[in-house]
Amino acid sequence: MDYRLEDLKNWDEKIVTLAKQHGLDWYDLDYEVVDYHEMIGAMVHHGMPSMYSHWSFGKSFEQTMNRYNLGAEGLPYELIINSNPSLAYLMRENPLYLQILIMAHCVGHSDFFKNNRMFRNTMPESVIQRLRSAKKRIQKYVEDQHIGIDAVEKTLDACQALQFQTTKYGQVRRPHSEIKAEYVELINNDKDGKYKNFNIDMMPLEPDYDLLGFIEENARIPEWKRDIIHVCREEGQYFWPQIQTKIMNEGWASMTHYELCHELDLPGELHIPIIKMHNAVVRPHFGAINPYHLGFHLFQKIKERHGIEECFLAREVCYDASFLRQYLTEEDCVELNLFSYSAKKKMGITVDDVSDEIGWEQVKKDLISGVAGGSIPVVYVDEMKKDRMLIVKHEHDGRDLELNHAKEVMEHIKYLWNDPIRFYTEIEDEPWEMD
Amino acid sequence: MSIFREHKTVADRTATDRRRHKRKIEKAIREGIHHIVADESIISKDGKQKYRIPVRGIKEYRFVYGSNGKQVGSAPGKDVKRDQKIGDQQQPGQPAQPNKAGGDKGEEYYDVEITHQELAEYLFAELKLPELQKRQFSNIDTEKLKRKGYRPQGIMPRLDRKKSAIARIKRMKAAGFDSNLSEDGESFSFHEDDLKYRHYKIKKKPCTNAVIFFVMDVSGSMSQEKKFLARSFYFLLCQFLRLKYETIDVVFISHHTEAKEVEEKEFFTVASLGGTKASSALELANDIISKRYHPSSWNIYLFQCSDGDNFSEDNDKFLEEARKICSTAQLYGYCEIEPETSWMSDAGKLFQLLRPLQGNKLKEVRINKRDDVWPAFLSLMGGTQAED
Repeated sequence: MDYRLEDLKNWDEKIVTLAKQHGLDWYDLDYEVVDYHEMIGAMVHHGMPSMYSHWSFGKSFEQTMNRYNLGAEGLPYELIINSNPSLAYLMRENPLYLQILIMAHCVGHSDFFKNNRMFRNTMPESVIQRLRSAKKRIQKYVEDQHIGIDAVEKTLDACQALQFQTTKYGQVRRPHSEIKAEYVELINNDKDGKYKNFNIDMMPLEPDYDLLGFIEENARIPEWKRDIIHVCREEGQYFWPQIQTKIMNEGWASMTHYELCHELDLPGELHIPIIKMHNAVVRPHFGAINPYHLGFHLFQKIKERHGIEECFLAREVCYDASFLRQYLTEEDCVELNLFSYSAKKKMGITVDDVSDEIGWEQVKKDLISGVAGGSIPVVYVDEMKKDRMLIVKHEHDGRDLELNHAKEVMEHIKYLWNDPIRFYTEIEDEPWEMD
Repeated sequence: MSIFREHKTVADRTATDRRRHKRKIEKAIREGIHHIVADESIISKDGKQKYRIPVRGIKEYRFVYGSNGKQVGSAPGKDVKRDQKIGDQQQPGQPAQPNKAGGDKGEEYYDVEITHQELAEYLFAELKLPELQKRQFSNIDTEKLKRKGYRPQGIMPRLDRKKSAIARIKRMKAAGFDSNLSEDGESFSFHEDDLKYRHYKIKKKPCTNAVIFFVMDVSGSMSQEKKFLARSFYFLLCQFLRLKYETIDVVFISHHTEAKEVEEKEFFTVASLGGTKASSALELANDIISKRYHPSSWNIYLFQCSDGDNFSEDNDKFLEEARKICSTAQLYGYCEIEPETSWMSDAGKLFQLLRPLQGNKLKEVRINKRDDVWPAFLSLMGGTQAED
């Protein structure tokens, strides 16, 4: 170790002073200095200091540890959670220059968590406490001789499979009665016959994209199961904003560390490795999108083109899709040499469009459809039949579902719903049904 | 100003997660392992070898897109053209959260690598040798020295220097002796009472003696495939016994018209030509038992693999020897290997011949194909598969 805790504190003081001058506004930072074993543990628990037990965390621990031991993977560049204060981890084994870079980077993330509107309903003040309490309750279910580890595990497996099939903005669920009252109102005031054939007894009355929420509310299951669903649904809602702002969040944090480190008056032996590290982090990945690279590039361009105020505005109101829609220009597409590709049955993987005059808009469109959680298929509850059969539909947008996965997920839904279920999608332009 | 904390607790935050994961893997391995029991590679005795076992179901499933979706990539400074081929494989979708969503789709199996030792452990985890009676244990009781604290008397080799030194220091401190103040460099020497000796007690641990006879027909009538099946079967028995008991004797007897005791290596590799006189092997076994393994202090197991053929004039003698084995052995397992016969054919001569003797001591099994090895093993050893 080439530093002492005092060194970190001194550099932190310089960083926060500078950051304030830049107009950044973040939650207090709470750094925990950990060894690499603990770092990997924290990583697989998504940075949460207290997490319920599940084998999937054990699996990712083993995988990460193996890769780390083989030297195939360095440990994460940074790990910080959206909490207030923001809990961040610094790996003890890191050299001082890297800690400085990471601390500056964390200020950017925390500022983003605090100011981006996607995070408004994530309740960062209580997230750690909520998960700690959830962990205790789940442990109690495990120890309950009438429930036990196997049933709890099966429920958690199912919930994790559906974790992101919930609302993206943490909205509060509206009760069915409230929605129904609205429709009754609409029908009563129906002048142009729009609601003539509307079935007011349907459940739900509108497509319900909060699959987990619907199950939690309506399934005939014991309370402990409902509670576990609740925990996982909240967790999914908590993480959705991070999925939706991956590019922006990393771009903003990278710009923050880049600018702060430039102004820190660092001695050469610290500054040069920081620049090297920065370049490695924001380098493009061939054939893929590196969110650090794209986000950093775009924020730099916005600053050039519209000034720094525009950057602050974007970090507040945008999410990845709107960010790209609004700010990614033809010039950027050409400079980054973006192209879209897909697998064809006979041809293998071929390039569809490139960023030239005719192609760039299509490439941009394809890019946007895949970011901000766009790679997570959208499904919704269409109807709950009288016999309680649950009709779940996939909102097909031209991309087919992977059927092997869908079949397994169906089993999970069935287990949670505890009544029959039918699922509809399209495969190769044909309707497809499963139950 | 930010807060800085050193991580202090020694608690391993993912210990439970990892234990649960391991349990899941083990369960899946046990399910997958039966497919490889008869696989050729497991006979190889190279203990360093590792086996790849296809394991199902430790995947996390979510709704994910298949392969007909478009991806976008960047390639600054490279020339990329429309319709250019950039890969053969179906490109897996990029998950929104790489550490959460399953990256590769549709694969229901993936390989887990386990060692030779682990393989055997998995196989036999829930099995026990049948009727392992406690016999009279005389000659190979294991004696172990167990430490039992310290004593003021003892022999020099058992002197505990550290304890003794501590006792001396204690006495020195109590006496208020300070070597720095000592006028003429006077030292504070050891006293008889300072010396502490480690004390040991002999603990006798009764250990179950067992001798296992492996008998194999190596006559010309055993084809390659038959030999292979026999070897797989013995491998299982071998590994099982080695795993469960430390003090165990194994005797290998191979025979055609004549029987001889051989080394393990030879047993599994040497083939010879000629007819079959099964009695010769049992006679040799009985002979060895009477000379080396008295039934009053040994549990005796005998396993015989044969294709069932025998010289008919040898049958009476064979039966007589078999009876003798039954009277002394805990278990006489007879395994008949018949890979080439059709489903209509009768069991071979020896199988029929032994049928009247079948009971607690004699068990007969048949192996016709590789899939039969594991069930045959189970039925012989009287164990059940692990329930989990």
